[in-house]
Amino acid sequence: MSVHTMLEAVNLSKRYEDGALAVDDVSFSVRPGEIFAMLGGNGAGKTTTINIFLNFLEPTAGEARINGIAAHRAPLEAKRHVAFVSENVMLYPTFTAVQNLDYFARLGGKTQYTADDYRRVLLRVGLQEEAHHKKLKGFSKGMRQKCGIAIAILKDAPAILLDEPTSGLDPKSGFEFMQLLGSLRDEGKAVLMSTHDIFRAKETADTIGIMRQGRLVMQRSRAGLAGEDLERLYMEHMAGVHE
Amino acid sequence: MLVHIIEKELRDIVGSAKFAVNFSIGTALILLSFYTGAQNHRIAQEQHEAALAANVRQYEGVTDWMRVQSFRIFLPPQPVAALVNGVSNDIGRTVEVRGRGELRSQDSRYGDDPIFAMFRFLDLDFIVTVILTLFAVLFGYDAVNGEKERGTLRLTFANAVPRTVFITGKCAGTFLGLAVPLIIPFLLGALLLPVFGVPMSGPDWTALALVTGAGLLTMGAYLLLSVWVSARTERSSTSFLVLLSVWIMTVIVLPRLSAAGADLFVSVPSMDEVNSQKSRFMSQLWNEDRTKMNGFTPANKGDVQEVMKEFNRYMQTLADDREKRFNEFAGRLNEERANRQMEHRRLTQYLSCLSPAALFTLAASELAGTSLRLEEEYLAQAREYQKEYARFMKEKTGTNTGGFAMVFRMVTDDNAEKPKPINIAEVPAFRFVPPAAEAGLPPFTIFSGTIALYALLSFAGAYRAFRTYDVR
Ligand SMILES: Nc1ncnc2c1ncn2[C@@H]1O[C@H](COP(=O)(O)OP(=O)(O)OP(=O)(O)O)[C@@H](O)[C@H]1O
Ligand SMILES: [Mg+2]
Repeated sequence: MSVHTMLEAVNLSKRYEDGALAVDDVSFSVRPGEIFAMLGGNGAGKTTTINIFLNFLEPTAGEARINGIAAHRAPLEAKRHVAFVSENVMLYPTFTAVQNLDYFARLGGKTQYTADDYRRVLLRVGLQEEAHHKKLKGFSKGMRQKCGIAIAILKDAPAILLDEPTSGLDPKSGFEFMQLLGSLRDEGKAVLMSTHDIFRAKETADTIGIMRQGRLVMQRSRAGLAGEDLERLYMEHMAGVHE
Repeated sequence: MLVHIIEKELRDIVGSAKFAVNFSIGTALILLSFYTGAQNHRIAQEQHEAALAANVRQYEGVTDWMRVQSFRIFLPPQPVAALVNGVSNDIGRTVEVRGRGELRSQDSRYGDDPIFAMFRFLDLDFIVTVILTLFAVLFGYDAVNGEKERGTLRLTFANAVPRTVFITGKCAGTFLGLAVPLIIPFLLGALLLPVFGVPMSGPDWTALALVTGAGLLTMGAYLLLSVWVSARTERSSTSFLVLLSVWIMTVIVLPRLSAAGADLFVSVPSMDEVNSQKSRFMSQLWNEDRTKMNGFTPANKGDVQEVMKEFNRYMQTLADDREKRFNEFAGRLNEERANRQMEHRRLTQYLSCLSPAALFTLAASELAGTSLRLEEEYLAQAREYQKEYARFMKEKTGTNTGGFAMVFRMVTDDNAEKPKPINIAEVPAFRFVPPAAEAGLPPFTIFSGTIALYALLSFAGAYRAFRTYDVR
């Protein structure tokens, strides 16, 4: 284990009960201060991979490690080091944004936050101030995503997992979101994100992986992509040209 | 962390529209049950006093104790019984006491006003077994799978939350979220009792508090069962259906079926059967005695008064003998029936123990003194009273009237002074001593202990099911 590795998949495989091989011998690592973007078509195995990191699923083979801890061996310990933003953030509809933040911050072991902290983080993720004390049931999907990322920021974990976090965000919010992610990276977070947004991935990510039918068929650093047309590469991989 | 989850659960419940609706309905019904209880108690008290007065008035102008064939006693209404009716409205409140013979209670509340029997009263038993258990199901059915459907379970378990802590917090939080607010209407209702003139004694308050506690425990049992089912099913619509069936079975069907079910194993001879056997035996005895009467030959044939006295004495021995034989026979029949009935009751209770709601009914009626033991207790005290009454009447008339004795008297002296009316108040008063709440405490403890056991089992089930629950 290298101290420079925060998130690590080691020969990770997952076969569902029905026999479908969703993740097939995948290995990669994400260091602190690095954004790893996972691209891939529908059903490529991105969500499954993230679920193994969160111990929502047990790997069939291999390990998903967070800060060197195998998620399925010591899940509680591993989850202390990771924050998670899902594709469709769902919070308690009868609570206000701030109440939701407060609850999940406490679950994450952070009890020291003040009202001002909540206000600041919500402003940082771009949620307009008049919504801070409104109940979640009236929130649009984008507003919920913003609360989700605020919760992840509040957890202040060294690793962040995001599953298609920008789906449903308007273009401006999407852009701001990626900037935010960039600033989190600059703070030293290790970020693993699945996305369908090739353009934004190329803009922000330090490393890009492409998954196809459970396998990580391409993995390149930003430097390694210089001069390459990522969109064309992606299409070729999807078509299986490089196999 | 447990505290945060409990706190969140409380806030989630209390802040929901579902809670606002249910809490309002629950509060209204609880207050209503206290109100109707208090009203019923007042009415019953008035009827009781009127019956006592009418009983006395009946003997106005009577000048001869011999004419007092029987004396009526009444079961006084009890405050807690008004809140937990049990069988108090079904059993006869009046007993016609004669100097000898069997006692039977008559004139029940439901017998007098059958319309009430049709729909019963809104008492605390109804509140707990129907309303509170339904609340428990409504708030517990989606405890786990609902969070999954809402998508909050994923985010929760992206944190280092032990599953045991989560499920414990869920159970405790939901229970507190329901129980704590419900204590308010219970307290208010209790405060209304003295205002409405229900005389509550110290033991009455204790009984009421324990019954309320057992009610909340019953709600808790259904709540934990609901959490368990919700942790065993993927979708909340499924768990709702499952729980609704369980609720219907245990709250409505099982209690009604258990007595009929026990019938399959123990048959109790009907009262009619027993009575007809008794009356057959009685007429047989009469026939025997009639032959004996024909053989009566007075020793002193000259003096009419002497002959009359001798005849009365003779009749008295016949009556005594007849009564002795009859009592032996009836006693045997009664005992046989009582034994069968005991067995039947026990089996019914065992069967109904499958339902926490039925267990509450049994537990509450024990403490309220309205269990099946009420009638037995009443009749037992009436029989004690009968002895006292017989002694009194013997003193007054020189003979034990009532029962089956026939008394012949001749009034020959027309010039005697006008007879003075009797003072009926001299008849010893019947004072019903309600079976002490302590007597109800052991069965109450057993029944509520069983409810607690159900709650514990459900919690263990929920705990186990959630260990392997797919939180995705
Ligand atoms: N619970 C499950 N049981 C069986 N197979 C599943 C299950 N969940 C996912 N799969 C299968 O695993 C494969 C990978 O699914 P996954 O959700 O990881 O894809 P994804 O890359 O996240 O796709 P998308 O971009 O559409 O979100 C798919 O073939 C899917 O059908
Ligand atoms: Mg996915």
